Amino acid sequence: MLSIMPNIEDKTRPKISGLSRRAHIMRSLTCIVPLTILSLLVLTAIFAPWLAPHDPIKVSMTERRLPPVFMEGGSTKYILGTDHLGRDVLSRAIYGARISLSVSLLVIAITASVGTILGIAAGYIGGRTEAFLMRFTDISMSFPPLVLAMLLSVILGPGYITVVLALSVLGWAPYARLIRGEALRIRNSDFVSQARVSGASPMRIMIKHIFPNVINPLIIVMTMAVGFMILAEAGLSFLGIGIPPPDPSWGSMVADGRGDIDRAWWITTFPGILIGMVVMSGNFFGDWLRDKMDPRLRQL
Amino acid sequence: MADVILEGRDLKKYYPVTKGLLKRIIGWVRAVDGISFTIERGKTLSLVGESGAGKTTTAKAVLLLEKLTSGTILFEGKDVYRFSKSQLKTEYRPRVQSVQQNPWSSMNPRMRVRDIIAEPLVVNTKRTKGQIRSRVLELLDQVGLSPNQADYYPHEFSGGQRQRIAVARALALNPSLVVLDEPVSALDVSIRAQIMNLLKDLQDQYNLSYLVIAHNLATVRFMSHSVAIMYLGEIVEYGEAEELFERPLHPYTRALISASMLTLPEDEDKGVEPIILSGEMPSPLNPPPGCRFHTRCPDVQDICSKEVPEVRVIGQQRIKCHVYAEQ
Amino acid sequence: MSDILLQVENLCTSFFTRAGEFKAIDGVSFYVREGETFGLVGESACGKTVTGLSILRLLPEPAGRIIGGKIILDGTNLIELSKKEMRAYRGKMISMILQDPMTSLNPVYTVGNQIGESVRLHQGLRDDMVEDEVISALRLLRIPAPEIRIRDYPFQMSGGMRQRVVGSIAMSCRPRLLIADEPTTALDATIQAQYIALFKDIQKQTDVAIIFITHDFGVIAQMCHRVAVMYAGKIVETAATSTIFKAPKHPYTAALINSVPHLDRKDDRLYSIEGQPPSLLNLPPGCRFAPRCHDVQEVCHQQQPPTVEISDGHSVSCWGVK
Repeated sequence: MLSIMPNIEDKTRPKISGLSRRAHIMRSLTCIVPLTILSLLVLTAIFAPWLAPHDPIKVSMTERRLPPVFMEGGSTKYILGTDHLGRDVLSRAIYGARISLSVSLLVIAITASVGTILGIAAGYIGGRTEAFLMRFTDISMSFPPLVLAMLLSVILGPGYITVVLALSVLGWAPYARLIRGEALRIRNSDFVSQARVSGASPMRIMIKHIFPNVINPLIIVMTMAVGFMILAEAGLSFLGIGIPPPDPSWGSMVADGRGDIDRAWWITTFPGILIGMVVMSGNFFGDWLRDKMDPRLRQL
Repeated sequence: MADVILEGRDLKKYYPVTKGLLKRIIGWVRAVDGISFTIERGKTLSLVGESGAGKTTTAKAVLLLEKLTSGTILFEGKDVYRFSKSQLKTEYRPRVQSVQQNPWSSMNPRMRVRDIIAEPLVVNTKRTKGQIRSRVLELLDQVGLSPNQADYYPHEFSGGQRQRIAVARALALNPSLVVLDEPVSALDVSIRAQIMNLLKDLQDQYNLSYLVIAHNLATVRFMSHSVAIMYLGEIVEYGEAEELFERPLHPYTRALISASMLTLPEDEDKGVEPIILSGEMPSPLNPPPGCRFHTRCPDVQDICSKEVPEVRVIGQQRIKCHVYAEQ
Repeated sequence: MSDILLQVENLCTSFFTRAGEFKAIDGVSFYVREGETFGLVGESACGKTVTGLSILRLLPEPAGRIIGGKIILDGTNLIELSKKEMRAYRGKMISMILQDPMTSLNPVYTVGNQIGESVRLHQGLRDDMVEDEVISALRLLRIPAPEIRIRDYPFQMSGGMRQRVVGSIAMSCRPRLLIADEPTTALDATIQAQYIALFKDIQKQTDVAIIFITHDFGVIAQMCHRVAVMYAGKIVETAATSTIFKAPKHPYTAALINSVPHLDRKDDRLYSIEGQPPSLLNLPPGCRFAPRCHDVQEVCHQQQPPTVEISDGHSVSCWGVK
């Protein structure tokens, strides 16, 4: 006999919220819509060579700054118009998805894994291990990222690997700090001491008991990071230490079109919209995923 | 001599209080200060006291979750602190299990009940998946839950059901001693009786020994064979349960019993005045000199604030109080 | 009767959630006399806390709503009051001590400040007069040296003292009705005994009526004049305290009292009520206790029992009681 009665007088359970049917539908939309957008973008990135109508780096000086198709002077040849070198904005945006998405996903995967491992180790083991790891984290966080990125691009030369490295080398620190705090809290919880009484090893406790319980905050930070990483990559590209031209990324497209914003708004606006869509989809989807993954919230 | 399963001898746990950057030690919190007790096989010893009395620290020491400052814990006559790592893993850990107070926090919310109960088996034995599965179902049945509940998550159960799951987990390895830390205090009245009956039945069935940590005296009387009343890190009265409840000697024991009695308004009119202690338990950082209870004791004498009372044996009870000095 | 301070009639409060409507309380009626202590006892989720919050109109909105009934305090139906009027009532006429008094003090303000806030809000006094009021409120709760204590921060006080400060805040405007929700649950036995004695003392001094919400029959016995026993959102039995203990009529009341282990004798086995309370989402059509009841009859499963007054002040909702 299972009772799903909300125990109103029990503080330890999550508060019940008054959600109507409409809110319920809205909530499932926060999953479907962002997931659709993200999957479409990922598919676009994968199939870019088949989808793009033009070569993204082909310059055509006679067709510079052509407006999109729905404006006067636009043509179906360039649906979203062309940039200051006459390159097709649509094709560049499609190819840009490849670089922008892959850079940000790769960086997030690296930084989140490293940060989580170090954070859990520091939080659970404590003592000198923790002191050492956390001082190391503090130093990483106080290092100016731009200087490091420039240094790397001087040593390695600008390129894809350099961008990923530059963003990863310092990016794990916030994860480590967050996860350590969570691990510290969970380390002192009853179920962990119960596991110790059962004879579980520290490794088992970290993997089986602590890790599943830090996933929630981890996911939130990871989804927030999607947008941040795309913007960071754009910043690096703008400074000339990112993806070297002429390869397109959304960030460099925005940066390139900056000077033309009064004459040819479409050069910056379309990649800008894409960045916004990814950031928002990431946040909404992350929110939904967090609810979904917490068994306590699943049925509410 | 009785068959003793666990004995604590002069257990002490002091926590250092530090100050400043250099962590200079400025004092000690005497959470547990020289207590001794024995638990017989198949019997229950209860440690009773208010928060800060040191009973939970004692329980954690027995479970090896806290390291004692000094003292000896003997498990079946062998010194637990002299066990090697592998001896601990085979001879002690699996045989001493626990049930915690709060069934809402004692289980990993992301594990299914099946895996929660199986954890001690997975960690400590080399059983196959099938063997573990059938043992889990057997345990569920023993604590009165149905096998089809094995795949649910803890949050889908009520407090009483969760406490049953915790009991099943504690029994998984056929332990000899189970530490029950306030096993029913987080539960509703009607559910408490169910769990307490269950614990008693299991004790009879498997000849289990219990170390119960409790503050509710009525619960203690039902569960225990012997009782130790703790105050500020010390045992002030220790004896056989029935004897102690029928003839409480220490003034603190009497105050505790009085405070827990069901006194109806009209009983009070008939002159059954409850004993109400003044003040609160002093800080274990600076325990009062002499008898630690003298600041609140209704029977306080001059000597109480000057000399530490010795442990005396009166009848069946060991008691630490100056009032009984002349006897 | 003229000395009735609070009359609750057929009160229904529901929580609306995604899973559906939870009828937290469903047709609760009782009255509280001036200067008496009325106990609401029951297990978790029986609706006792929701009853207290409904009277104060402090339900967590928008999920919780009063959907029917009357709450008449000294001739005024509280349900008809506007939010603003209700705010004026709270603190001045009715006040509440919450379940966890240890966390209901704000750590960044002095004790005097926190008590003064409620005094200032309701009485519109000048600052120097506020201080006098605060000191007298602290004195009422037997806090030693209130003139000095008034400048203390909560962290400077011991647990028992903080508890008293919470009491002072609740009593600072001399309300006529105090709702205390499990104020003793987190306390140790000897401190609980002190606190209960203090409450009785306050009642003697101020003649305040108290609704005491608890799950602990021991506290009920020591504190309350009359008691209502709640189960799954309904009051099943109301009577004088000694009647409830000595001659309970409802099987649930009897079972609850029987399942409390005895301190004055050794029980071999505890009486236990099997099963657990029904889900508020899916209530049985008949008596809500029927699935767990030992004396269940055919009619119990089909129809809800009426509330019958079997003797003066003793009413029961059970088909087995005529």
